[in-house]
Amino acid sequence: MDTTTAPRTLVDSRGSSCPGPITDLALAYRRSKVGDVIELWATDPGVRPDVQAWAAKTGNEIVSMEDRDGKIVVVLRIAKR
Amino acid sequence: MAKRVVIVGGGSGGTILANDLDPHTYEVTVVSASASHMFQPALLYVAMRGAPAAIARDERGLLPSRVRFIQDAVAEVDLTAQTVMTAGGERLPYDEVVLATGILTDPGQIPGLAEVNAAIGDYHSTAAQAQKLWRQLDAFRGGTIALGQASPVCKCPPSPLEGVLLAEELIRRRGLRDKTRIVYFTPYPRAYPAKPMDEIVAPILAARGIEVMPFFDLDRIDPATRTLYSIEGDQIACDLPIVVPPFIGADIAYRPAEVLDASRLVVTDRQSLRVKGVEHAFAIGDGTNLPTSKAGVGAHLEAKTVAAALAGRPAVFEGRTNCPFDMGHGFGTFVVGSYTAPVVKSPPTRWKHFMKMAFARLYWLELRGWLDPVIDVYFRMTAPKPAP
Repeated sequence: MDTTTAPRTLVDSRGSSCPGPITDLALAYRRSKVGDVIELWATDPGVRPDVQAWAAKTGNEIVSMEDRDGKIVVVLRIAKR
Repeated sequence: MAKRVVIVGGGSGGTILANDLDPHTYEVTVVSASASHMFQPALLYVAMRGAPAAIARDERGLLPSRVRFIQDAVAEVDLTAQTVMTAGGERLPYDEVVLATGILTDPGQIPGLAEVNAAIGDYHSTAAQAQKLWRQLDAFRGGTIALGQASPVCKCPPSPLEGVLLAEELIRRRGLRDKTRIVYFTPYPRAYPAKPMDEIVAPILAARGIEVMPFFDLDRIDPATRTLYSIEGDQIACDLPIVVPPFIGADIAYRPAEVLDASRLVVTDRQSLRVKGVEHAFAIGDGTNLPTSKAGVGAHLEAKTVAAALAGRPAVFEGRTNCPFDMGHGFGTFVVGSYTAPVVKSPPTRWKHFMKMAFARLYWLELRGWLDPVIDVYFRMTAPKPAP
């Protein structure tokens, strides 16, 4: 499915460092289904390696990861549940 | 005329706030479903040490005499009409409302967990459940213990690790360590979600022979075989599953309903603590969606922030955490951070463990505000440094 048209869940984790953005991502994953797109916003730089490890473990896809307007924006596509 | 402030919830946050508000300015009402106020962190020691379950006091006795206390559940909060409706049918109009509703365990979210939870107990809900877990641990004679949290939403982030470390200490002291495999499972990439603290925790877990299974997001449990399955496709077969259940916000109807998120947490501005999208409403404590630890320290600081805001003083909540963390064998630490200061490495010491245990004895004084000068100095001295 095209990530621009798929249902997109915005997860705003800015300001969160403990337990951290991965908490919010795991929660969104629990509620997701295959084909969903999750857009995660974070300010904790630890989110980069964590999301990569998470995607590798869960078999989901990182569509993009970039710094934008003072935050880290990660777009993920749920490929496996 | 005095302003009418209704505080929904008589836990730490609600009780601290009710004690802080000026009686000449406010007519304060606290509504709580329970007449009893439990010191929740003590459940860990009831479950893991067989400590006495007498950890509660009468809520009325913790409130100033001028505060009206209603023992009843709240059925509905109408944030547009500015009224709180109790389950018993009493209608309470307010000028300002503070939602201090807390969170509850909700094992029914995970297939099989309600049955396991009823059989094994837990240390995040009631004294009876914690006593049940103690009886299970007390009778344990070897095998596999699997302990972890079922959902990323968790009251007190260090508490699952505290549980596994104290359980390991108990098993070791009883001479059962070589007959027992202990597995710690977590939905996070590592044992402690914040990496600097994990650098402290991971070597301790390794030294005590506790296996860590990261990215284990509990999907279901088979109560018959006591096998845990994760969304990620892993499984753990065990003899004693000790699962911190998922949590959910209080069962209260709100108007507008949009003030709640999918976990029934109140959507709250992270600095002003005002409920988003409405006026004359604040939220504090575990029942908010604030991106900070669900812990008593947060409830304390949030209650003080709202008290200041109501009094017209500058009031910004900075997301400060100070979570006590018992690492077993007499060592402890505190997990300190804020919105702008990421959690730092904080090695365990005997002194920090002593402070944690000493504070537990002073909790009832803290609720009344009698320790405020000491606590204020402590928070200033231990303020985390913002990230560069």
